[in-house]
Amino acid sequence: MQRFFLYFIFASIILPANAQKDSFPSLNNMLEEVVVTSTRTENKLGNVAVPVKIISKATIQQAGSLRLKDILQEQAGLFITNGFGAGVQMQGLNPDYTLILLNGEPMIGRTAGVLDINRISVGNIKKIEIVKGPSSSLYGSEAMAGVINIITDNSYKKNLEAALRYGFGNPDKGWSWPLSNNTFKNTDFNLQGAATIHKTGLQFSSNTYYLDGISYRPFSTERLPQPQYRISNQIQLNHPFSEKTTLSFLIRHSLDYFKQEFSVNNNGTIIKSFGREANNDLNINPVLTHQFNKNIKSSLRLYGTLYDGNQRLNFDNKPDSSYIDQFRQNFYRIENQTDIVLKKSRLTVGGGYTVDQARSTRYDNISNTKQNNIIYGFVQHEWNPTSRVALISGFRYDYNRLFAAAFSPKLAVRIKANNNLSFNASIGRGFKAPDFRQLYLNFTNNAAGGYSVLGSIDAVKVITQLQSIGQIAEIKNDFNRLSSLKPEFSTGINIGASYYLKNNFSLTLNLFRNDIEELIDSRQVATRTNGSQIFSYINIKNAYTQGAEIEANWQPMKSIQISSGYQLLMSADKEELTKIKNGNVYVRDPNGISRLIKKNEYVGLPNRSMHMFNLKLTYETPSHFFATTRFIYRSRWTVADSDGNSVHNIQDEHANGFLLINVSAGKELKNGLHINAGIDNLLNYQDANFMPNLQGRMIYIGVRYKLI
Amino acid sequence: MKRTIILTGLVSLTFFSACKKENVTVQKDPFPFETITDGKITTVKNLPADTVVGFDGIGRPIGAGIYSFYSLETNTWVPNKDSATTKWDLAFAGTTIRVNNQTSGPGNGGAYVYTGTFESLTSIPNDAIFAVDNHPLTYAIPKGSGAGWYNYDGPSNLVTAIPGKILVVRTASGKYAKVEILNYYRGGVTPSATAPTELKIKEQRFYTFRFTYQPDGSTSF
Repeated sequence: MQRFFLYFIFASIILPANAQKDSFPSLNNMLEEVVVTSTRTENKLGNVAVPVKIISKATIQQAGSLRLKDILQEQAGLFITNGFGAGVQMQGLNPDYTLILLNGEPMIGRTAGVLDINRISVGNIKKIEIVKGPSSSLYGSEAMAGVINIITDNSYKKNLEAALRYGFGNPDKGWSWPLSNNTFKNTDFNLQGAATIHKTGLQFSSNTYYLDGISYRPFSTERLPQPQYRISNQIQLNHPFSEKTTLSFLIRHSLDYFKQEFSVNNNGTIIKSFGREANNDLNINPVLTHQFNKNIKSSLRLYGTLYDGNQRLNFDNKPDSSYIDQFRQNFYRIENQTDIVLKKSRLTVGGGYTVDQARSTRYDNISNTKQNNIIYGFVQHEWNPTSRVALISGFRYDYNRLFAAAFSPKLAVRIKANNNLSFNASIGRGFKAPDFRQLYLNFTNNAAGGYSVLGSIDAVKVITQLQSIGQIAEIKNDFNRLSSLKPEFSTGINIGASYYLKNNFSLTLNLFRNDIEELIDSRQVATRTNGSQIFSYINIKNAYTQGAEIEANWQPMKSIQISSGYQLLMSADKEELTKIKNGNVYVRDPNGISRLIKKNEYVGLPNRSMHMFNLKLTYETPSHFFATTRFIYRSRWTVADSDGNSVHNIQDEHANGFLLINVSAGKELKNGLHINAGIDNLLNYQDANFMPNLQGRMIYIGVRYKLI
Repeated sequence: MKRTIILTGLVSLTFFSACKKENVTVQKDPFPFETITDGKITTVKNLPADTVVGFDGIGRPIGAGIYSFYSLETNTWVPNKDSATTKWDLAFAGTTIRVNNQTSGPGNGGAYVYTGTFESLTSIPNDAIFAVDNHPLTYAIPKGSGAGWYNYDGPSNLVTAIPGKILVVRTASGKYAKVEILNYYRGGVTPSATAPTELKIKEQRFYTFRFTYQPDGSTSF
């Protein structure tokens, strides 16, 4: 076993003996890669004026990733949040503010603002494009911190490939696996293929994933991660009517199924509950593209998506009744985008109409569908006055039924100083519309003091009604701010430079600042006569996040690539900062005695690592052998205001910083067979309280076979 | 647990090295509490305040309704039978703290909440207004999250004493004291937000506070 383990560590460090051919990815090729997300038009990465990161299929496969979370957590500057699944925090903004696109169309079905990126299998992903900085000028709501666009395989060349991966681990037994009590197993099967029949391209992929439940908490029956099955299927068709007109059609369905077992403390007695959660996700996306002439191209996109979350729990003390949580969201969109090539510039104009609907047991009534309609238009102008300068300007206007309209302009510039050095700067406005939860939630926690959280529209109604029957003891001042919830706005600035040297070294620096206004936060708006609190959502906070991101890639020899990234992040709630500056905030020393807070004790917004560091070492031979070691470091983050001073400071409860090390190696054999193996979380790092979904060490082996 | 031991260790260390200190442990079955006097400042640790015996209809913890009466003047716990006398200055039950006046007792008590550090309050301003209890509607030391001395966070189900909140107290006999609530949980350590609910319930309603009492009746400390 020891030797097996050492092999993985050293496989990626040992120098190559037989580097020969020129079939390696070189850094120079990187600049030639095509990006679509940053401008909604095809652009070479080397010409893009905003921070963009591309994750290739090879990177995903070498890392042995199965779910989107596995690969995104290995990217510097992305922090994976815990709670309501795995969310992505980008540039220090919560998961609510990153738009997640599947082939350019938004994924829906967020819980408490979090879109669980474990929902997405990476088996059929061609590449992932990550655009940082506000992108609402093209994408509208949610694209405030940035956009993650998942682009699935779209080659229609005849092929058929099957991949199987089996992994196992034991969180508390160290290496003495596999068959003791708490051993968990993980199986993933992926099948995909493509063919072209009478000009019509057909592409399909199918993924099945199973993970055992694991119990990290001693003496607890609760298993986190929960035992889970995830199945997703996708079919894509492409039919060219002529050289100029193409129709494509995508349908994807995924089902995530969890077995659940909880212990809930209700009025002092422990109640065991057991049940299941099933989440269905359906996406349908026909796109008609027509090239009018060599300068004008237009596409008509239709998109319909549905997310249905359904949880049912039974309690051992009440066998006849069950707890049911249902959430269903439907989202329909029609959109046109036209690209016009002009002399030295390119114009993109588009517009669309969206219908967004949701109904849930979390709202007042499951049968009562909530709906918002949005109409929008956008314009973008890409101008190259000289070959060294690119100037991109654009805006988008979103008008809707429920709250104020949003105007989102953006301006970006890229200047190539010489062949090695280029600078880019951008400023843009992002927004996030209030979601259905913030408008309509109707939640009362009967297990813990009976506090309620009400959406802003329902809060006024419910509290007024309670007041008329004498159930409200006190109305807080914040109640008067409830009437009209506005979108949250941000202004984001990114300034960066990229330096490339001799095809084997690159250094990218980006400085960012996001000023967020009208942040929506829950506040107590009333108190019931029985003393329990009623919370609702109001536009109340102003905050900022700022920092620097550095990325370096170095290929000291053809077979070795070293890439690393670092992000420094600072953030603050502006009101809190003012209170601290005015000397109105106190902390306690270790003996519990109050004193004034020092400015450097303030940590700003909670749940953020100040330092994030990633390092990846890759060794690759022309004979198709690879080995990688990846280091992922996140510094400590504050989790709660445990000293009650209403701000987050270094004395507050925090999760410890951690280091994950993932290793993998693989080899492609001559007959189309590819084998790989690896260890995720080599150090077996665990944090049951703050990262309950982080698995302990997992060892896996996989095979991939090209049938056709 | 480890933190509690370290904390206790620190306290006993300072206790042995400071000569002016007086350490008294009062056995009040089943919960002992402790008082430490160091010069003008007295710290009372783990004073039980109507500890939880059950839950009300909406799941909130309730006690037996028995207040812990405390005399700042004599630095002693006052038995329940003396609740209708001027022997006590503050009465604790759950997050409610009452003063000995009006609807709460026959004394001349009163209080208000001062924002600042304990040390920075060297004298009570002449225009300071001492409020009195109007049980069960209002209290001299306001009840409610963020209103007086504590914050209550529903989702984590924790009560935290707000740093920088000092209770300025007029005692039953009309003298003055300043009181800083340090913690609401046994051992003087607030449980983790992720701690089990049972623990948060069992360990709450144990006050740790410190006070300075001015026996000469003046308003300076």
